[in-house]
Amino acid sequence: MSYKPTLSGSWWLQHRFFRAYMLREATVLPLVFLICSLLAGVYSLASLEQFSAWQEFMAKPWVIGIHALALLASLYHALTFFQLFPRVMPIRLGNKQVPAILMVAGQWAGTVAVMVMFLWLFGGGA
Amino acid sequence: MQRDMHKDIHIQRYLPEENAEPFWQTFQVPYDDTTSILDVLNYIKEELDPTLSFRWSCRMAICGSCGYMVNGIPKLGCKDFVRNYPSALRIGPLAHFTVERDLMVAMDEFLDHLEAVKPYLINEPQDKQAPHRQTPAQLAKYKQFSNCINCGLCYAACPQFGLNPEFVGPGAIALAHRYNLDSRDQGQGQRMPILNSHDGVWSCTFVGFCSDVCPKGVDPAAAVNQGKVESAKSMLIQMFRGGA
Amino acid sequence: MSQRWRGLHLEPVWWGLFSAGGVCFAVFIPAIALVFGVLAPLGLIEINYLQLQAWYASWWGLIATGVMICLPGFHAAHRIRHGLHDLKVGGGFWSILICYGLAAIVSVFALWIWFQA
Repeated sequence: MSYKPTLSGSWWLQHRFFRAYMLREATVLPLVFLICSLLAGVYSLASLEQFSAWQEFMAKPWVIGIHALALLASLYHALTFFQLFPRVMPIRLGNKQVPAILMVAGQWAGTVAVMVMFLWLFGGGA
Repeated sequence: MQRDMHKDIHIQRYLPEENAEPFWQTFQVPYDDTTSILDVLNYIKEELDPTLSFRWSCRMAICGSCGYMVNGIPKLGCKDFVRNYPSALRIGPLAHFTVERDLMVAMDEFLDHLEAVKPYLINEPQDKQAPHRQTPAQLAKYKQFSNCINCGLCYAACPQFGLNPEFVGPGAIALAHRYNLDSRDQGQGQRMPILNSHDGVWSCTFVGFCSDVCPKGVDPAAAVNQGKVESAKSMLIQMFRGGA
Repeated sequence: MSQRWRGLHLEPVWWGLFSAGGVCFAVFIPAIALVFGVLAPLGLIEINYLQLQAWYASWWGLIATGVMICLPGFHAAHRIRHGLHDLKVGGGFWSILICYGLAAIVSVFALWIWFQA
């Protein structure tokens, strides 16, 4: 005789590590909203009237709220993704392994560079 | 040795010949700051209740026998200490495995997956008498993954294995990867079918808890996810080449 | 079944799209969420419609479409489908069809919008 408990759908609530994993997975939820907003945005580029209407929508407080959440989510995703990436594709140069911290720093440099570039491209002050 | 501190330790018992259900039993055990979880279990068996069943052997974290759930986290009994648990201390059998008795689980569920990935050198050496030659750089490629002691803690930590026992699992895949990376091995082609399957590397979602609990720093999560890259390459090559 | 197709399945495809989308989500989405989602709507940045429209109509717009809509869409689809499996509420055939299907529809639609511009 023996027994084996079945895992319930709420297994992830049992430990901090699993809750952090679920949070990481959940970062795509505000991303989905952002993607829909961007889709509406590029569609609206056809005319100034449509684009202004899209801008009005984007300026609603609850919309800004969700997009701010999407910003935070993208940064938490970046934090976890950049740590995982060197473990999936470790880079060896000759005999030595490239230290993980260098790979993490390099990826963050990419994100920061893109942010700076976007702010420079679109950042005409109001 | 004088041990003047005492603690209530809660152990999950399962005695199938007496009771179809598992139950918690509490023992009061003396301890000091050198007392390990394994020491606690041996004290209970020797002094308080000889019916308590649990596996152990080397007591130095190399045999892989003494895996249990300690406060819900997979740990080696010989490598974890009572001093780490100032509050309650609950010991149970390793999660995600069938429990046979008390803290003893059916390790076949892991060992079958391990056997399936052919965790040994597969090659046809030109000269069967000559030893293999390997540089330090070649060794470095797989050395970390060779530290696995088959303790099964990673399986207890892995929710994907918990949800699907057919998942080959972190330990077996890490060992498959260890041999695939070994310059002396020519057997990758024989391992890929099982690694390429849905129950192979593709069941993993990089939760990463397996690597957190591994007592030997193997980083099985890295092995499985590097395995995804290898698997994708292997399946692409198979599709274009027209065969394995 | 011939040797060529034995044991093959689409999982590496979804995982590849998920990985590429993950890079975009980590490297490009923070910038676009910040600029278009927060700073511009708050009035801290002024977006010039004509400049944006011209820029979007160029090849940059196609790249931006791929990097900010299509690939992150597949990344989200993959995580949602596996998330449903983790929560024990799905993850099977219908989840796969709906998640990746929606991502494909969004991608095609976004690419069609760009071609119209």
